[in-house]
Amino acid sequence: MKVVLVPGVLALLPEYAGLDDPVAELRAACLAAVRWLGADPVVLADPQGERVARALLDAAGGFETVAAQPPQPPVLVVGNGSAKRSERAPGHLDERSHPFDDALGAALRAGRPEVDAALAAELWASVAGIVRMADLGGPAGLGEATVDYDDDPFGVQYWVMRWEWER
Amino acid sequence: MTLRLGRHTFPDEATLMMAIVNRTPDSFYDKGATWAEDKAFERVALVAAQGAEIVDIGGIKAAPGVEIGAAEEKARVVDFVARVRESFPELVISVDTWRAEVGRAACAAGADVLNDAWGGADPELVDAAAEAGAAIVCTHTGGVTPRTRPYRLEYDDVVAAAISDTVAYAERAIAAGVDPASVVIDPAHDFGKNTFHSLEVTRRLGEMVATGYPVLVSLSNKDFVGETLDVPVGQRLTGTLAATAVCALAGARIYRVHEVVETRQTVDMVSSIAGRRPPKRAIRGLQ
Repeated sequence: MKVVLVPGVLALLPEYAGLDDPVAELRAACLAAVRWLGADPVVLADPQGERVARALLDAAGGFETVAAQPPQPPVLVVGNGSAKRSERAPGHLDERSHPFDDALGAALRAGRPEVDAALAAELWASVAGIVRMADLGGPAGLGEATVDYDDDPFGVQYWVMRWEWER
Repeated sequence: MTLRLGRHTFPDEATLMMAIVNRTPDSFYDKGATWAEDKAFERVALVAAQGAEIVDIGGIKAAPGVEIGAAEEKARVVDFVARVRESFPELVISVDTWRAEVGRAACAAGADVLNDAWGGADPELVDAAAEAGAAIVCTHTGGVTPRTRPYRLEYDDVVAAAISDTVAYAERAIAAGVDPASVVIDPAHDFGKNTFHSLEVTRRLGEMVATGYPVLVSLSNKDFVGETLDVPVGQRLTGTLAATAVCALAGARIYRVHEVVETRQTVDMVSSIAGRRPPKRAIRGLQ
């Protein structure tokens, strides 16, 4: 089974495209991960994240036809860390953002995401999809993640991660 | 409509800066600053670096003055066109002339556009453009003689007259063999017009755009701006840019200018407001 996490960055939407792409590297990582995931995933996201997921799936296009339907559909999770990581961040600097994101990032890497939803809300972290990842995976969680992107270019923590395990 | 200017083509939504380069000792704005060939060449290099897509090279000032014959006009323009062509292959070269003889020689030297500010005073200019595969700018002057000032000219409807005359000129150019994608119309602010006329063609420029021909506007530092704001040459940039913004909103495609950078920013800003151009780089609130 395959799971991908991408951030809910509205700059990824075609209606917000400028002449220059401010998130070119992130976009490339998201599209590669979504292509790897395959067609028709289940999407775990808040409403804005849903739009980002649909846009990425549309932009990815050209999925290989899978002969047999996988027993479990792939899952595309949309979520990201705090938007309060610097003085120029959308939510200005909150010192708690860095330890929060460090802990969440480590948990995601280990395939066992645990989120303090109340603190996430205070820190402007979009975790509606990430919270629902707890229902995925087996006794070992989702297993170790492959990390394609891990950065906070605008004071918002973004991850692109992939998980795959045999059921 | 896709625009073809000699060697160059531009997509539907592209707006173009046409930078004025005077090979004259007496033009109203620069007062001979680029009369010397090397100064004119430096001006071409500057406006190219500033992003102008077109240079408009002229050998005779528009206002009345010392008579300049075709031979003298060619001496001022033709070799200079060849030099610019060789050094700036990516630039569109326009030549500001009403004379077919000058137009032919300029095209042979590498010009892409014949910018006839005088509304077809020489009926053979369209043939010169057709023979060379060049574009032509068809202006409205109310039928005045080249290098004369308007005197008590009135119109029942100046915009209707501008459309009627420029479209007729455009059709004559196409009939002579000019590519329909290479025909541009220009209401010609101040030419055969008082300030009220120029303000009205600015206000109603959308009617010219609706003809389907790409519209060129030449507003830069002109008397209608000066009279409207009561400011002399040298203090007309703000008024020029305000008029530019109105024309950009209406959909003008080519802007004949002294100040490339300021006009480009004005046109880009208005084009983005109009929804015809995405912002350069947008991340605010979208992180």
